[in-house]
Amino acid sequence: MSEDTIINKIKEAHQDQIESATIMRAKRLSIVVKRESFVEVAKSLRDTFGFTQPSAGGGVDYPTENRMQMIYYLMNLEHRVLLTYRVNVPRDAPKLPSLTQVWEALSFHEREAHEMFGFEFEGHPNMIPFLLPPDWRGGHPLRKDFKGEGVTA
Amino acid sequence: MTEPIIQPDLMRISWGPQHPMSGQTRILLDIDGEKVYKIIADLGFTHRGIEKILENRTFFQGVIPIERMVMADTANIGLGYITAIEEALDIQVPERAQWIRSLICEMGRINSHLYAFGLQAEATGYFPAVFLWTTTDRTPILDLFEELTGARWSYNFFLPGGVYKDLPEGFQGKIIKVVHYLRRRFQDYWDALVENAVFELRCNGLAVLKPEDAIRLGATGPVLRGSGVAMDVRRDEPYAAYGDLDFQVMTEQACDVMARTKVRFKEIGQSLNMMEQIANEIPGGEIRARTTPFMRGKEAEALSRVETARGELQIHVFTEATPNPYRVKINSPTLRNMYVFERLAELNEILMADIPVVISSIDPWYLDSDR
Amino acid sequence: MQEESKELRRNFDNVPGSGAVYNVIDYIAGWARKYSIWPIHLVTGCCGPEFMQTSGSEYDMERLGVLPFASVRQCDCIMVVGVVSRKMALRVKYLYEQMGEPKYVVSVGACPTGKGPFYDSYAVVAVDEVVPVDVYIPGCPPRPEAIIHGMMLLQEKIMKEKRIGVKE
Repeated sequence: MSEDTIINKIKEAHQDQIESATIMRAKRLSIVVKRESFVEVAKSLRDTFGFTQPSAGGGVDYPTENRMQMIYYLMNLEHRVLLTYRVNVPRDAPKLPSLTQVWEALSFHEREAHEMFGFEFEGHPNMIPFLLPPDWRGGHPLRKDFKGEGVTA
Repeated sequence: MTEPIIQPDLMRISWGPQHPMSGQTRILLDIDGEKVYKIIADLGFTHRGIEKILENRTFFQGVIPIERMVMADTANIGLGYITAIEEALDIQVPERAQWIRSLICEMGRINSHLYAFGLQAEATGYFPAVFLWTTTDRTPILDLFEELTGARWSYNFFLPGGVYKDLPEGFQGKIIKVVHYLRRRFQDYWDALVENAVFELRCNGLAVLKPEDAIRLGATGPVLRGSGVAMDVRRDEPYAAYGDLDFQVMTEQACDVMARTKVRFKEIGQSLNMMEQIANEIPGGEIRARTTPFMRGKEAEALSRVETARGELQIHVFTEATPNPYRVKINSPTLRNMYVFERLAELNEILMADIPVVISSIDPWYLDSDR
Repeated sequence: MQEESKELRRNFDNVPGSGAVYNVIDYIAGWARKYSIWPIHLVTGCCGPEFMQTSGSEYDMERLGVLPFASVRQCDCIMVVGVVSRKMALRVKYLYEQMGEPKYVVSVGACPTGKGPFYDSYAVVAVDEVVPVDVYIPGCPPRPEAIIHGMMLLQEKIMKEKRIGVKE
């Protein structure tokens, strides 16, 4: 199956739930999904379409458009295709359901995204400080308006 | 410190950042007697904020902080960043430059695997002889690097569009001499490490990771190939000159610590074959395309995958019409493998004395997971 | 320790010939101490492999008496090898306080000296904001000959001490 077939099947199965599904280049797919059906589409990607290997998760900050985007990187082992699974959240209320209920290995990456951007993942089992010191008071470092040195106690 | 609550009859000990075998991390073990019930990894001791720094560097300067992610294997990581930039900005690379890039990547891979052997031998019963053998055997490779690029560990030799310098006179003969020397030493390492009775006793059957668990938990690199899953980026999406080189993807079926060691061994053998093939068959031509140091990008994004010695590294670059990238996301292999390490205590029975053996078979480099 | 040494010297200064005796004792003590500096095994960053090559077979650091040791209570010096992040800086300070006098700190690499290639990072500190440093060895990573030269500079510094532990 080539990338065209996979993308068309996903579009057919979840027509109103995804905002856009494109092919970035050979072996790279990109899906932007709406926030309400975030977990449901993820479960179908894992069970029906074979994206069983989680790679990572991270965020991008767009302050001019007042949104932040969370991206998850998922791998399909049968066709060796890498999918970037994206969702947009508003910048002042970045709440998302956690995807550890679908792929448990994304736990570390969600902890890091919480520290660096301020995403709040509902249902994460273990949200404790990950890379920054535990007494960090400085804000969220990877946002575009963070321009300071770190502040600790 | 905020940490999860422990059960009342277990003891929590901290295998901390200052320890001869722990590396730059703290690992908390919940133990009862000798048996380990839970492993918690406390990362972040080498966090430098590379993703934020890269937004403040031009495309040429960006290789320098990113190479310092894994010092033993800087070639593959620098190549990941450069490949993403070239894809985003549509820069074509001449063929001779791709072959030189593959040569440097394979030498870096041998360097890193020898380092991993040295640490594994030291963890499994303190064989300082084998550790010192590896430091000596890395010296011919480091001398080759120094002659070609000017530095021993971190070269800054790749740039978007090619490589900086061409191979000097007589370099191909030197590569073949080093390959023959390392092949003779290969037999010594096999006898001392893999066919050693003490090593077999300690490592056979320890920390078994079945293939379905390895895929579900996101393992990568020799950890995944030691469980029988044949997944290698050089075979799935050939980058640099790997489409023309002949090599095989090495897997093992035993899924334990010994299998991962054997996978790394065999990969060294394949890398030596590739080095010899490159030295004999490298094509002529130019070595760099025309690019300027302060080039401005365009609005694009690119996601590149390379196979480092520890696993698969993905770099996602967002560029705009400025000399700096907008956002660089680095997906490191060690962060994925550390999650697998945390779950190994629940899948198997591990004793406290086995923890250094298990962790050196996963081969983590904490500067890679903390970025 | 410095006050006791000054006391002793003051008591014996009016005895004729005491200067020569103390000079000989200081010389022998300095000679014995400089050839057995035991640093603590603390690799904090990416200069680690170069440090291991230096204690390996080709550039052997142990012929100068430098043996990396595990327990901090029995060590002389901390070699801070590599980038010091904020989380690790607290541990470096604890280790410095746990070592017994006389103690030295050597900062190996460009990053602990002055942040190195991460000069504008929010999470890196230069190590002389945390502990007082005796010898700086620049380089990224420094060559093994540079590390050995730095240790020999520390040996000269130890030899020049008028009393044990009195740094000038």
